[in-house]
Amino acid sequence: MEVTLLEALQLPFMARAFATIAVLAVAAGVVGLGISFREMEFVSDGMVHAVFPGLVIGAAIGGSAGLLPGAVVAALAAAVIFTLLDRRGGAGSDAAIAVGLTGLFSLGVVLVSKQQGYAAQLQDLLFGHLLTVTSAQLWQIIAVAAIAVGIMLVTGRTQLFRAFDPAGFEAVGFHPLRTDLALAAATALLVVAGVQALGVLMVVALLTVPMAVSRLLTRRLGLLVPFAIAVPLATGGLGLWWSFMWSIERNLSVSPGALVVLLLVAAYLFAVAARFVWQRRGSAAAA
Amino acid sequence: MSYFAMAALEVTLLGLLGGIAGTLIVVRRRSFFAVALSHATFPGGVIFAVLGYNLLLGQALFAALLVLIMTLLSRVPGQGRQVASGVVLALGFALGTLLTSLNPGLGVPVEALLVGSPLSVSAADIAATAVVLVASLIVTAYFARRVLFHTFDPVGFAAAGFRAWPVELVVVGIASAAVVVAMPAVGAILGVAILIAPAAAARLIAPRIEWVPPLAAVLGVASGLAGLWASRQFDLAAGGAIGLATTLVFIAALLWRRLARGPIQRVKEVVKAKEATA
Repeated sequence: MEVTLLEALQLPFMARAFATIAVLAVAAGVVGLGISFREMEFVSDGMVHAVFPGLVIGAAIGGSAGLLPGAVVAALAAAVIFTLLDRRGGAGSDAAIAVGLTGLFSLGVVLVSKQQGYAAQLQDLLFGHLLTVTSAQLWQIIAVAAIAVGIMLVTGRTQLFRAFDPAGFEAVGFHPLRTDLALAAATALLVVAGVQALGVLMVVALLTVPMAVSRLLTRRLGLLVPFAIAVPLATGGLGLWWSFMWSIERNLSVSPGALVVLLLVAAYLFAVAARFVWQRRGSAAAA
Repeated sequence: MSYFAMAALEVTLLGLLGGIAGTLIVVRRRSFFAVALSHATFPGGVIFAVLGYNLLLGQALFAALLVLIMTLLSRVPGQGRQVASGVVLALGFALGTLLTSLNPGLGVPVEALLVGSPLSVSAADIAATAVVLVASLIVTAYFARRVLFHTFDPVGFAAAGFRAWPVELVVVGIASAAVVVAMPAVGAILGVAILIAPAAAARLIAPRIEWVPPLAAVLGVASGLAGLWASRQFDLAAGGAIGLATTLVFIAALLWRRLARGPIQRVKEVVKAKEATA
């Protein structure tokens, strides 16, 4: 049985999964610019781990309805903690982030181990469930992602100023801490938006890889965000479709989230190869 | 030996190993590398669990492959310093998740790979940790002066005619080996906790650089054993309890440093000033 992408998308759960991917792609493209320019990949990985205890506490208090509030509170708290740790600078700041990351994740593991059905719950939080996103969850994801994008749009110009000319930024009288906190909050909200669909383990791919691909493909500032949105959109659609086809044709249970992320990494490797070929050509033409 | 005694022995060895490997990671700022490597080695364990071979071997081979990929990717021009680690991290988790989803009836519990299970370490795991500990001690003793020189004055190091790659190789090798042997006890996500946190704490409170490794080893062993004890006493996940204990040690070191630099320093100055006038 051959199913086209459009036919597959007429199934409600596939449509919701694709809509989730699309929303996350747009948000990741916009917020990813800030993460990439400020070299916040490690900090964003820290936030991903920090959301985990929030999810556990939220689920313990309010069941699945408590997941989102728990995640938002934990992510915003982590945004403040990691911004302050990163700001200290010096030789110890990356070690401090590593300690914060493992410490918060340990807290989540300890809390979850005190509950019933520990292993199943842990797996669900770690691996996500892209295909069973409900429409209520989809609206939550849209709302949270919209706030993240909104923060970036409002503070976009100051973020760029801070990234390219930190000394000038302070000399003109802007507050670096306020700008850093805004970026960290946007990152934290993106993590929250992605974590239910992709799980704690894979959401970090969304934060770092699309913009890494985009920066290899183009050097023009205006094209960075559109490319960073298009790449996860394309790999997301393809990943969803393939996992669907494999499950009906060969009866394989493939995690769609994992497939989407693997295709994203493949796109990155492809971009690296393309850049090398392009540079060879450039240097050959110049010689 | 009882399960608990085996776990205590493994945690003690890991704490000692953290004195060397953790100090190297912290002082040379390779934390994200260590975190990414330990996370991304997770599919290696899944592959070897599916094939029915030794988990530790699979993770070691996979870690070597990842270090190679990271080294190559970090040479790509025009991208941030952290991108290579970020990409490898994403690759590892996605591959591990994919393999897990393809093999629903996997013999090894996935959460044990991720968050560790100190109480199920085998004699072979302990032996591997001991071997890595001894080898790291010997190699570090031989290279210590060069590693220090390169860490604190890379330009002077190059000008003096030394080559940088043996030092890099030693650091990356020790860090990777430590991350891999830490995995059976504390798992792919928390494996770095027992290595990095005690060393980071030691760096905050050590008066001189040569105090950092022994101090880190003492803090690592103490916090590891405390976490293990707490996990038995309060019925908590052991990997998580150990990770939390090492974090508390780091926070305590942070507070101690604040106190030592702030109020205690001021009291000392006041006392000195009084002695001078008296």
